[in-house]
Amino acid sequence: MLRILGRNTSSNVQKTLWAAGELGLEFEREDIGGPFGGNDKPEYLAPNPNGYVPTLVDGDYTVWESNSITRYLAATYGAGTLWPTDPRVRGSAERWMDWQIATLSPTMVTVFRGLVRTPPEDRDMALIAQARDRTAQLFAMLDGALAGSEYVAGDAFTVGDIPVGIAAYRWYHLDIEREDFRNLERWYRRLTERPAYREHIMNPLA
Amino acid sequence: MLRILGRATSSNVQKVVWLCEEVGIPYEREDIGGPFGGNDRPDYLALNPNGRVPTLIDGDFVIWESNACVQYLASGHAAGSWYPDDLRARARAVQWMDWSLGSLAPTHVPAFQGLIRTPPEQRNPEAIARSRDAWSKLMAMLDAHLADRAYIAGDSITMGDMPPAVISFRWFNLDFEREDYPNAKRWYDSIAARPAFARHVVDIGLA
Repeated sequence: MLRILGRNTSSNVQKTLWAAGELGLEFEREDIGGPFGGNDKPEYLAPNPNGYVPTLVDGDYTVWESNSITRYLAATYGAGTLWPTDPRVRGSAERWMDWQIATLSPTMVTVFRGLVRTPPEDRDMALIAQARDRTAQLFAMLDGALAGSEYVAGDAFTVGDIPVGIAAYRWYHLDIEREDFRNLERWYRRLTERPAYREHIMNPLA
Repeated sequence: MLRILGRATSSNVQKVVWLCEEVGIPYEREDIGGPFGGNDRPDYLALNPNGRVPTLIDGDFVIWESNACVQYLASGHAAGSWYPDDLRARARAVQWMDWSLGSLAPTHVPAFQGLIRTPPEQRNPEAIARSRDAWSKLMAMLDAHLADRAYIAGDSITMGDMPPAVISFRWFNLDFEREDYPNAKRWYDSIAARPAFARHVVDIGLA
């Protein structure tokens, strides 16, 4: 059986849980990272020297980096559905995965950690407000991309919706001011109808 | 013909032009970004609202995010070589591409931009040193991975080697103290000997 190593409050672990859920894969998950620790132990670092969660173990194969795991699951178990076979659709999907890692996540993490993982008295509200504004600009970009299509890579749900879909859940559940992004909200509402999203993503922020 | 929008000194543009030359894809490149500007203009942002380089235009298809461009081109033009057919080898390649995107690239930026794109009197030596030290730890990780394999995903070069290689050029050529990473050095030297890498990365220099 597939093993996913990582606590389920991590957005990066959630990508792999949601993907596995979409694909109907059975898996075992182990609490590692954050308050559980364990990701600095030699046995965790041996297959994953980067020391972040998640790590996926599929038989004798181990892979890490959340988006790589998500792509691997999609390509192995979901070719033609989660994993688009048309290279242009796939390229569009992967583009939003890379954008989530390099652009959205480093901006949004300041808001998320500030409001969810920092005691109120230790929060830097000016910094959080600045990061929220920049995050809003990024969601405006995604909103623009969703103006002409149902999902990020076209008319079907793909692997590309997963990383940004998790960020969208946080956007709509953080205690912040939110602009009215109609395309984004329409897309997000559609994600909330998916059983795997409801099970793995729509949980209290922690 | 394929159009690549982005200046030749951008490591993100370099990955794409390097791949095009390796696999024989004809292309035109346009200088955009950095000192050339243009990436904040409405016509560029209409193609790429993220405003970074490169943007790739393949007929009526537009794609941005450099690693996504590399995967798109490699899957179409180099399946079975640069784009591994074996899904586990491909995931290994992608894992180090994602690692470069999320860890290596942002970590190296303060040292690289501080030493190369900042006048000496405006440099922040502490920030540069911190960045170099963290970058070194990531190079150690790469070095360990390459201890028992020739390339990132196994015995032959793949797209997974591209993002860490363009940043490793900077590691091995910046004017600072370097730990000895023999596996990474052997791997880097074998890549630096490739004419396409030499032309698009080494010959461009640190800029």
